[in-house]
Amino acid sequence: MRRWLMFGGWWLVFSGWWLVFSGEEPEPRRPHFTDIASKSNFAYRTDNNFTGRKYFPQTMCGGVAAFDFDNDGRMDLFFTNGAKLPELEKTDPRFYNCLLRNRGDGTFEDVTARAGLLGKDLGFSFGVAAGDYDNDGFEDLFVCNAGPNVLYHNNGDGTFTDVTARSGITKPKDVLSVAAAWFDYDNDGKLDLIVSNYTVWTPRTDKICAANGVEYYCHPKVYSPVAHRLYHNLGNGRFEDVTEASGFGKELGKGMGIAIADFNGDGYMDVFVANDTMRNFLFINQKNGTFKESAFEWGVAYDESGNAGSSMGADAKDYDNDGWPDLFYNNLKGEIWGLYHNLGGKSMSYVSGISRVSRLSARSSGWSNGFVDYNNDGWKDLYSSNGDIDNMGDISRQRDTMFENVDGKEFRDVSGLLGADFNHAGFQRGSAFVDLNNDGFEDLVVTSLDEKPRILLNSADNGNHWLLVNTIGRRSNRDGVGVALKLTTASGRTLYNHVTTSDGFMSSSDKRVHFGLGPEKAIASLEIRWPSGIVQTLKKLRADQILTVTEPAR
Amino acid sequence: MTIMRHLEGGQSCPQPPFRRLFLALALILPALYAQQPAADPDALLQHAIALHQAGDLDGAIRAYREYLAAQPDSVQARSNLGAALARAGRYEEAIAEYDRALSKSPENPALLLNLGLAYYKTGRPAEAATRFERAASLAPQFKGQVTLLLASCDNSLGKYKQAVALLAPLENEKSADQAFNYIYGTALIGDGQSASGAAVIDRILSAGDSAEALLLRGTLKLRAHDHDGALADLEKAIALNGRLPGAHARLGELLLAMREKDGARTAFGQELALDPDEFVSNLNMGVLAKQDQEYAAARRYFECALKARPNDPGVRYQMAILDLATGNPDQARKALEALIGESPDFAEAHATLATVYYRLDRSADGDRERAIAQKLMDQRDAADTGVRAR
Repeated sequence: MRRWLMFGGWWLVFSGWWLVFSGEEPEPRRPHFTDIASKSNFAYRTDNNFTGRKYFPQTMCGGVAAFDFDNDGRMDLFFTNGAKLPELEKTDPRFYNCLLRNRGDGTFEDVTARAGLLGKDLGFSFGVAAGDYDNDGFEDLFVCNAGPNVLYHNNGDGTFTDVTARSGITKPKDVLSVAAAWFDYDNDGKLDLIVSNYTVWTPRTDKICAANGVEYYCHPKVYSPVAHRLYHNLGNGRFEDVTEASGFGKELGKGMGIAIADFNGDGYMDVFVANDTMRNFLFINQKNGTFKESAFEWGVAYDESGNAGSSMGADAKDYDNDGWPDLFYNNLKGEIWGLYHNLGGKSMSYVSGISRVSRLSARSSGWSNGFVDYNNDGWKDLYSSNGDIDNMGDISRQRDTMFENVDGKEFRDVSGLLGADFNHAGFQRGSAFVDLNNDGFEDLVVTSLDEKPRILLNSADNGNHWLLVNTIGRRSNRDGVGVALKLTTASGRTLYNHVTTSDGFMSSSDKRVHFGLGPEKAIASLEIRWPSGIVQTLKKLRADQILTVTEPAR
Repeated sequence: MTIMRHLEGGQSCPQPPFRRLFLALALILPALYAQQPAADPDALLQHAIALHQAGDLDGAIRAYREYLAAQPDSVQARSNLGAALARAGRYEEAIAEYDRALSKSPENPALLLNLGLAYYKTGRPAEAATRFERAASLAPQFKGQVTLLLASCDNSLGKYKQAVALLAPLENEKSADQAFNYIYGTALIGDGQSASGAAVIDRILSAGDSAEALLLRGTLKLRAHDHDGALADLEKAIALNGRLPGAHARLGELLLAMREKDGARTAFGQELALDPDEFVSNLNMGVLAKQDQEYAAARRYFECALKARPNDPGVRYQMAILDLATGNPDQARKALEALIGESPDFAEAHATLATVYYRLDRSADGDRERAIAQKLMDQRDAADTGVRAR
């Protein structure tokens, strides 16, 4: 007994010394994530039809959209899927796309067939973008494919109709489209569409690469780049391909993720496209229907050494709350994940090193990614879904990462603290940020090759406060895509965000704008800048609510 | 990470150890020199030489200095002092003494050869090469020794084609000489002559397993993107000879290609622990430090790399990026403009210069450089079959 007490005494002494000398703050309470997918009965698995022969598109499968298709106030989920190869057809139900209706009790109902979204006639599907292109109050879907892309109109009764043919959305033959984003580039109140394309590909032109008798996925160099395509929304369900007229057609890329933001603060949305093993593009909106590719000017075309990385997913948000959207794209293992700080709307500064992102990310192959304030402390963190391109070694399966933002200056890896379900090792691909249970904490939905998706519910138990803002445009597009929000808390802290559903890779997130407020329960003001130019200010708001804001007449 | 701490604490690259190939020459040349008849039969000088020959280097250095205090113009004594200092590993002092001797006897080929060796041992192959060339031009009997040294300098400087040109005529005569085979094989592989390089490797391996041959074969496999094969060879080479110059550096390059940055850092650190001036490791450690935005450390690594390969365009490019990243775009501009003047096909330099011009509000110049960069990269992409894993 005495010896035990002595030991205890020593422990206390050392513990005290540790506290004195380390000077560290106690660790904050962090939420964790729990996978609730198994509670629901649905058949969807991300199926890239890997049977030994390695076809180029197989590495990219499993797009996700989080959107409220039935306007019941609960976010639903849509997943894209692969196809039989080399047939390039969804010959079997296992390749069908999937729509899951959120029942609101932690379970989801597979309503794909009823909604008409199986996609039986589609090829291999990749990215998906949700947006109300016809301003009828119901979110529509655009799905990217190897084979024709498809625009689904939400009929408002739980069903969708393929309206691609009458929309005028076409693309050159055999172009492989990876991701898409809705945004209103000319502020005419109608959502336009940007599609990132990778190459011209068919199973017949697929290249075989092998060494010592072992086949591997070919390096992207074997495929030629193509133009990304911009479609102008003419109204009445019609679109015009303005790729050439807008300037997009001048640049050929191997498109992956798309990030939409007003990088220079001129009131018009700009477009960043991550290109695989090529320079990235930053299309700055010239406010006259054209764009100028300005990645060189902004310093984001290449990494700091002038090298092109794999550039997978992309997102643009303000991580340091200085009022300017910053840029984050991830890369494959060993490359540098790009975190760029916006220098007052004129250029970007590479900050991967000083923010510690370069070191933290060195061992991960990232796919979808984004800024997300997972712990509601008011600082946007960096999430990435990870997994190797190929299954070639023991560490090909990877865990996702969450780099926690420390006061807008640097990041630390807290992935290991977010629960076993978050740390599932796999070949993760698409991801969406969404508040599935409307508790004000961001949940995650992640696909992984040859597995069911994970639906990761945030435990929301660290006591921090929040605000969700659902914008409804009138003169502006109804979704409010492009709305810029500035929130000032009661203590005077300012937070910034904007409306976009496009982030990461092949994915589309909750359109509601999320603010973590930390310990603060009151909001002094919320300034809302609509794409129409209207500025609206709401004062004295309480925290912890989903606030629906309708654009005023002027 | 010993080397990292050293670089962070100090401002210059430390002295490298002897290289195996030159150990024999370093020992032989001072002895040959000491056997030459002394111009001055002074007893003190004889005593110094005796001490030198007996291996009492400190005693010999003291005696030579004592003699030179009275006879400062004695070329032989100063040359011997340089040789003793070099043998004691005090290369910078040796270089100073050789230079003073050469100021009195500028056409002395033995002095030039020794000075070249001292430069080589301090990791300055460019300076070494000019002395070797001069020595060989003055004394044709040195040509045999000098050719191999010059080729080795060319390899160190990345001038593989020149090294091949020097050694190819000697291939039949020297094919049994393993040192020759190693230097020649390095040059062939560096020059992209993979098949010829492989033949030289086979010649070395026919005499038994050799770390040098495995290093060369690993290099060939790395170039051919056979990462697993390269890893096996390089690990075996290091197991056979952990001090083989360049082996850890090559392993570091391989690990970088395999996207294993931490392992690469360790390998480059091990190379630099053996030879702090080694070019590849300094360059890559600098790049890794730059990626982490540890710019001061990066600059020190690059400066060390430049010491090994003065004016290397890759290193100068990296230093220009440092200038841009640390808020000196005008300095970056000057460096990049100079670099492009010498290497007009350097696509990355054009790309970075475009960004620099845009930062300096010189849009027209930026547009021009951007167009050049794109054209060069497009040409490179068109030539790249890409048939390899990513």
